Amino acid sequence: MSVAAVATMVLMLLLLAGFWLLQAGLTAGVAYVEGKVEIVADLRDVPGAEAALVVEARALAVDVAALPEVRTVHFVSKDEALARFRERLRERGQVDLTGYLDRNPLPASLEVGLVDPREFQPVVDLLSSRSEVVDDVVEVQQLIERLTSVTNVLRTGGLVVLVLVAFVVLFIIVNTIRLAVVARREEIEIMRLVGASDAFIRWPFIFEGAFVGLLGAGAALLVLALLAGPVGDLMYGFFRVLPLELGTLARDVVLLVVGTGLGVGVLGSWLSVRSYLGR
Amino acid sequence: MTSASPPPPAYDPARGREPAAGTGAAPRPVLTLRGVGKTYPNGKVALRDIELSLAEGEFVFLVGPSGAGKSTLLRLLIRDELPTSGEVIVDGADLARVPRRRVPELRRRIGIVFQDFKLLPARTVRDNVAFALEVTGTPRGRIRPAVDRALAVVGLAAAADQLPTTLSGGEQQRTAIARALVHEPRLIIADEPTGNLDPLISWEIIQLLLRINELGVTVLMATHNAEVVTSLRRRVVALEEGRIVRDEVGGYHRED
Repeated sequence: MSVAAVATMVLMLLLLAGFWLLQAGLTAGVAYVEGKVEIVADLRDVPGAEAALVVEARALAVDVAALPEVRTVHFVSKDEALARFRERLRERGQVDLTGYLDRNPLPASLEVGLVDPREFQPVVDLLSSRSEVVDDVVEVQQLIERLTSVTNVLRTGGLVVLVLVAFVVLFIIVNTIRLAVVARREEIEIMRLVGASDAFIRWPFIFEGAFVGLLGAGAALLVLALLAGPVGDLMYGFFRVLPLELGTLARDVVLLVVGTGLGVGVLGSWLSVRSYLGR
Repeated sequence: MTSASPPPPAYDPARGREPAAGTGAAPRPVLTLRGVGKTYPNGKVALRDIELSLAEGEFVFLVGPSGAGKSTLLRLLIRDELPTSGEVIVDGADLARVPRRRVPELRRRIGIVFQDFKLLPARTVRDNVAFALEVTGTPRGRIRPAVDRALAVVGLAAAADQLPTTLSGGEQQRTAIARALVHEPRLIIADEPTGNLDPLISWEIIQLLLRINELGVTVLMATHNAEVVTSLRRRVVALEEGRIVRDEVGGYHRED
């Protein structure tokens, strides 16, 4: 088949791989943001009873961690809370006056990370029911609902765009191969008329389709590999925070590109030749 | 062997041709059409109630105006189309009962020649003829002698290594005839084989087909060439609007 067919294959596979990576990044970003959603429970702060409250708080943390909706539980002690507060002040360049306090006024707290930010109610209920330890559960319901509505749109939108791009890619590749087959329809017709079997007529085209597919996939992967270095450096800070498994992602892209190239090449040839094989 | 003279007796489609002089038993039909009709999916009726039988060794002209159904009839014979009614029997096989995957075997028993030659321009004369054997998986050692034989019959042995584009129209058509012959078919179907050729070259092609017929191959030739048909006094099957309106030994036009 033609150089044009291979070139189209390369461009379309790059498009598909690009959108696949974008979708993976988007999903990871959304998961990252959702993972940041925490339920924070401020604990009671009774001067003199700190040690007993810490014991109770740890017991509560174990109960909370036992809930299936909970991913992580972090106990923030009074000291840690104060340390964070000071850190924040220093970052903002504000004067740290906490040294003049006679007592640490900040409460200890539990920070509960969720498996799914939409499933917050059981955790809130459990924390609220232990009012002897928990002073206040910070209201997160509205925040979570807004966040999940945005992330749901992003997830669905990303998937829809990816599926659309996949369809466009399949359509264009199959059509390109069809053109290559149309150019040889006379040869196909002659083969039929002199008594070639369908299989005999088909296999060179299937072979060529597979060849174009693999060649296109190889070229596309080469381009991606060359791009991976610079783009990775550029976006290192971004990718580092995302829960992306780069090894798995690279393997998926290789499978996607090679599988699509080979599959569409063969399928396109098969469909295109079939329409000339007659009844 | 049949030859141009003496003319065979008038043809009776119901009985088949009278046995050729001196051969005894009636030759069995190479092809038979019984009550064949063909209506295309768009509703156009191409053929109606066709009764036709060709005995082994015959040379038959198929004539009629454009659109009379000649091409459809030829397409039925190579099972490029299936009839909507009736049966088409070629070389003993009812084509409607031949499964798709056996169709190639059927086509190898029929040689086909077209008005536009249908040669592969990038292959030499020899390779074009060999192509018909290659695509059917003939062992390489058997291809070469068969191709040489076919090229010798059409008189193109000297041009074997040329490309079709360097040949005259007549030579290209002879290449196509060699390709049709190389399977050693019992039947050759020619669809307007002289339609693109000037009168002199047309006669050469007709002479070649007659010689092949003398070798025992049945020939069915669709043509508009009135001069050739009229002067040869062979069996003529005339189609009009999808029906056989005449089937007798004679000229291109009705003579009574």
